[in-house]
Amino acid sequence: MEKNSDWEWEIKPEQGWFNLNLNELFLYKDLLLRFVRRNIIASYQQTILGPFWVFIQPLLTTFVYFLIFRKIANLSTDGIPPFLFYMPGSIIWTYFSDSLIATMNTFVYNSNIFSKVYFPRLIAPLSDVLFHTFRSSIQLILFLLIYSFFLISNHNIMPSWVALLLPLLMLLTACFAFGAGLIISVFTAKYRDLDNILQFIVRLFMFATPIVYPISIVPEKYKILFWLNPLTSVIETFRSAFFGHHPIHVQYLLLSVFTVVTILFAGLILFHKYEIKAMDVI
Amino acid sequence: MIKAENISKNYRIGVLGSRTVQEDIRNWWNRKFFLENDPAFQFHQPLKNQIRALKNINFDITHGEVMGFIGRNGAGKSTLLKIISKITLPTTGKIFGKGRTASLLEVGTGFHGDLTGRENIFLNGHIMGMRKKEIERKFDEIVNFSGVERFIDTPVKRYSSGMYVRLAFAVAAHLEPEILIIDEVLAVGDAEFQQKCINKIREVSSQKGKTILFVSHNMQAIRNLCHRAIELKQGEIANMGDPETVIAHYLKTEKKEYLQQNFNDKESAPGNRFIRIKKVELIPQYLNDQLRIDVRTPLRINFEFWNNAEDSGELKVGVHLFNLNGDCIFDINSPKSIFKKGLIEAHCEIPGNFLNDGSYYISILFTRNTTEKIFYFESCLSFDVEDYRETGGWYEKWIGSVRPDFPVVLRRIKD
Repeated sequence: MEKNSDWEWEIKPEQGWFNLNLNELFLYKDLLLRFVRRNIIASYQQTILGPFWVFIQPLLTTFVYFLIFRKIANLSTDGIPPFLFYMPGSIIWTYFSDSLIATMNTFVYNSNIFSKVYFPRLIAPLSDVLFHTFRSSIQLILFLLIYSFFLISNHNIMPSWVALLLPLLMLLTACFAFGAGLIISVFTAKYRDLDNILQFIVRLFMFATPIVYPISIVPEKYKILFWLNPLTSVIETFRSAFFGHHPIHVQYLLLSVFTVVTILFAGLILFHKYEIKAMDVI
Repeated sequence: MIKAENISKNYRIGVLGSRTVQEDIRNWWNRKFFLENDPAFQFHQPLKNQIRALKNINFDITHGEVMGFIGRNGAGKSTLLKIISKITLPTTGKIFGKGRTASLLEVGTGFHGDLTGRENIFLNGHIMGMRKKEIERKFDEIVNFSGVERFIDTPVKRYSSGMYVRLAFAVAAHLEPEILIIDEVLAVGDAEFQQKCINKIREVSSQKGKTILFVSHNMQAIRNLCHRAIELKQGEIANMGDPETVIAHYLKTEKKEYLQQNFNDKESAPGNRFIRIKKVELIPQYLNDQLRIDVRTPLRINFEFWNNAEDSGELKVGVHLFNLNGDCIFDINSPKSIFKKGLIEAHCEIPGNFLNDGSYYISILFTRNTTEKIFYFESCLSFDVEDYRETGGWYEKWIGSVRPDFPVVLRRIKD
């Protein structure tokens, strides 16, 4: 009879924990790019404002934050011009939140194609994260333009070398959202009612992150809790990058990197283990 | 090639919701801290909550072979294909394979309405496993095959359903995997499209020696395309082998055919004080080694009845043939005769090359003195007539309530 060496592939009941098969992902890179492209086209096809929404949304949000948190609630912005304070926060938060929600619902959103054709399931949420990276990058460019405008007309602002870390900060945000999303996705596939609870928690999470306020206004004894959140480092480092006098907390940044890497690996492994089984329960 | 060993698949059914969180935690706890034969062990997955979609499936498909899968809906055919396509995992067993696989479980997988036909060709092609260069190379061929050149840059949501399906199949038709898995895709689309699909599948299998797994309800297609067939019945392999035999076995056992009814007890037999039916029977006069009734098969109808009443008068018996729509195909009659009380035997014959393919039922009418209906034995026999064509190609349905073999003669009479 045929020996095992005659066969090229094998299907069996259990997926291993660790054979992540990353080279298979590379084979499907065309599909990944197509998905991103599809998301981009679909996103402006279905909105009233079309492609301009990608600019209008952060501007509008920043304006609302300004109105409510600065003018009405009078929260400190640590000496940074309010507009420039709220805008990056809004961009980073939207990036995180959109990527997280898209990833954690990947089985639900894609149940149609997942049940009809095989491709490495990771491609689907990865394409969503790339899509949001694309959008957020555009928004960041918009921010940089506005920042330059302020820079020319206002001598109190000064960028620092930390601005070079901007890509790392984006990567950190993306990996945090992706990793956490993957972990959660395995559960949302099975327990549909988690979706509502989780979206609610994500919204609350925004207030647990210093998006609309600086870390400086948090009482000392609670600060450490905030620093455990990787996004805190991201947003505070961002502020350090563009507003020179703002303190830099390297130790917390490193902690965040460590946390995010752990979450990412946990996510990848868990997702791989359950990606096919998830389809049986969706 | 593919080899399946002891494949089974269980699905859990029932309500999924917050209850299962508890159930899962309980199960996990039990599994971790109790042994399976510990009396305290409770694994809450009673078998009644599980559907055994597949049981003990074993088969081998060699390189270049086309294997057909037939069976009723729910027999497990789609589940098996999904396992081979890596969409779901088997509960037990293993599948070994050699060669790149592509699955056609649905036409137009991944198509997005807002994208143009061109975009969707790439998207669909990539999803099915084609590389970018491959799609670019075949792009023109694909567009030609689909027949939607003029609309290739229009968003697909504007396409008619026919165009949509043609485009989707055009992409699928140009896949070049070593193993192709097709699930009833042919059920979609008009006859012309189905013809195109079959031709393409035949071309793929014969020219390039690909291994094909083909699920269909279209027996003619299975007969013409497959080297071997497997019948699945309630998750198990009921039969495997030559397509003709497997199909015949399937049709005989699965289709509801009443070819014979016997009533031995005069008192309880169908009928009334005039007539009681003893037996009705349809005997196909098979030619050569035919296994099913087809358009060529003559049919003999025998029946026996008790003539009871003294005053049956002039008895006449009519045999009515109906198609499934309830249209009467014909009404044939015995001559009027006077019979004494007793058991009467009757027979008639429908010649071959008369009926069209389709499903039929027979009713028998007993009349007295020409006009008085004394008993109508309705739908007492039913049977199916299969299609048969000389050349074995796939054609559209031959129209007509009947299909007699009346010759049509052509002759040239003048220059």
